[in-house]
Amino acid sequence: MASVSWRRALFFLLVVNLSVLTTACSSHYGNAIEEFCLAKFKLDMEVLDQRQWCSWEDTVESYGELTNCTFLVALKMNCFWPNRMVDEFFIRVHRHYFHDCSMSGRLLHDPPNRILGPFIVVPILVTLLMTALVVWRSKRSEGIV
Amino acid sequence: MAIVGHALSIVSLLISLAIFFYFRSLSCQRITLHKNLFCSYVLNSAFTIVNLITVVNNPKVVQRNPIGCKVLHFFHMYMLGCNYFWMLCEGIYLHTLIVVAVFAEEQHLHWYYLLGWGFPLVPASIHAVARKKYFDDNCWMSVETHLLYVVHGPIMAALLVNLFFLLNIVRVLVTKLRDTHRAESNMYMKAVRATLILVPLLGIQFVIFPWRPENRLAGEIYDYIMHILMHYQGLLVATIFCFFNGEVQGALKRQWMQYKAQWGQRRREHCSMRSTSYTATSITEVPAFMYHHDCNSEHLNGKQTEDSELVALKTGETYA
Repeated sequence: MASVSWRRALFFLLVVNLSVLTTACSSHYGNAIEEFCLAKFKLDMEVLDQRQWCSWEDTVESYGELTNCTFLVALKMNCFWPNRMVDEFFIRVHRHYFHDCSMSGRLLHDPPNRILGPFIVVPILVTLLMTALVVWRSKRSEGIV
Repeated sequence: MAIVGHALSIVSLLISLAIFFYFRSLSCQRITLHKNLFCSYVLNSAFTIVNLITVVNNPKVVQRNPIGCKVLHFFHMYMLGCNYFWMLCEGIYLHTLIVVAVFAEEQHLHWYYLLGWGFPLVPASIHAVARKKYFDDNCWMSVETHLLYVVHGPIMAALLVNLFFLLNIVRVLVTKLRDTHRAESNMYMKAVRATLILVPLLGIQFVIFPWRPENRLAGEIYDYIMHILMHYQGLLVATIFCFFNGEVQGALKRQWMQYKAQWGQRRREHCSMRSTSYTATSITEVPAFMYHHDCNSEHLNGKQTEDSELVALKTGETYA
């Protein structure tokens, strides 16, 4: 009797699993992540200035939330995560928001003043020195010192 | 629109260069410096046009970010430096001629060539290194970085030094030469005038660039003026240094009279069937020393002077 109930339980589990698989990932997943996750991400990015979109420090939180959101929706809808739909979704997001960011992933900014200063001042000083040199040499070529 | 300005500049500069090379009688040291200045302007405009067409208007190239577009940017910065350093050479030359070693005949131009063609490599290279290390955006197109001052700083310094030299020349001409040699100081004033007009014109774009007016009409006027100042510079330089130059105009007029006389003569020969080989005197074949003498002693936008006055001037006081 126990073996029969075992077998029945196993059969029931199998049926349940099969039925779960048949309600697995459909194209509704794509719509779901667009509706739930992308909308929030869009709002977050709009708050930021467009020039800051490439700044990882400013966008890492919203990006993480977006990723988490797609994962949770995938769980809810019994999708395997990651999957092709979520890949295409992220490609679209990158193409829209991050297409012209530099390779380092950081927003380009000037070096600190203690580096920028010498870079600017030294050529100016060299210019003035060179000018003085030319004036002095052209004076000397006349024999007038 | 910028391309139009630069194309016009190239055309007018090439015409001026042709004039300077064709009329050998005009040639002297100051004209040699003009020729080098015009060459640097032609190259600068050419690089700007190439840059605008292939990189700025072409987002695909910017995305691909080939090494060539950065090399192009480097040469563009170098040519920009050459422009302004040749203007500085002109100022130093006039200063040495008038204030330091008055009316000396020949200076050695090697140092001027070094300052004009060689030295701008220094700021351009430093800018390339700094840009590569700290602000390596695609094709180095961004203008929102203070690293551009690595190139623009020396340029502004050169313009300020130039302005100082020219004002010094004016001071010397006005105070020291005025009492004894009024005519000559007027002559030299005309020579300096051309350079004195150009230096602020070239430099003012750097001064007023940060201050765009908020008012819409004033803002548009500002845009037009900046556009003209930045993209028509070659045309301005060619016009002021060549087309408005009295000697050049005189040489062109003489050449034109000579051609007219030759055509008239040829027609008369043709009509009368004579085979005489007499043509109107080729005035440009006058011995070089005469014009050389004029150019060395005057370098001006003005007229001829008497020899006696010049001798008096040479034996006059010298200014160390």
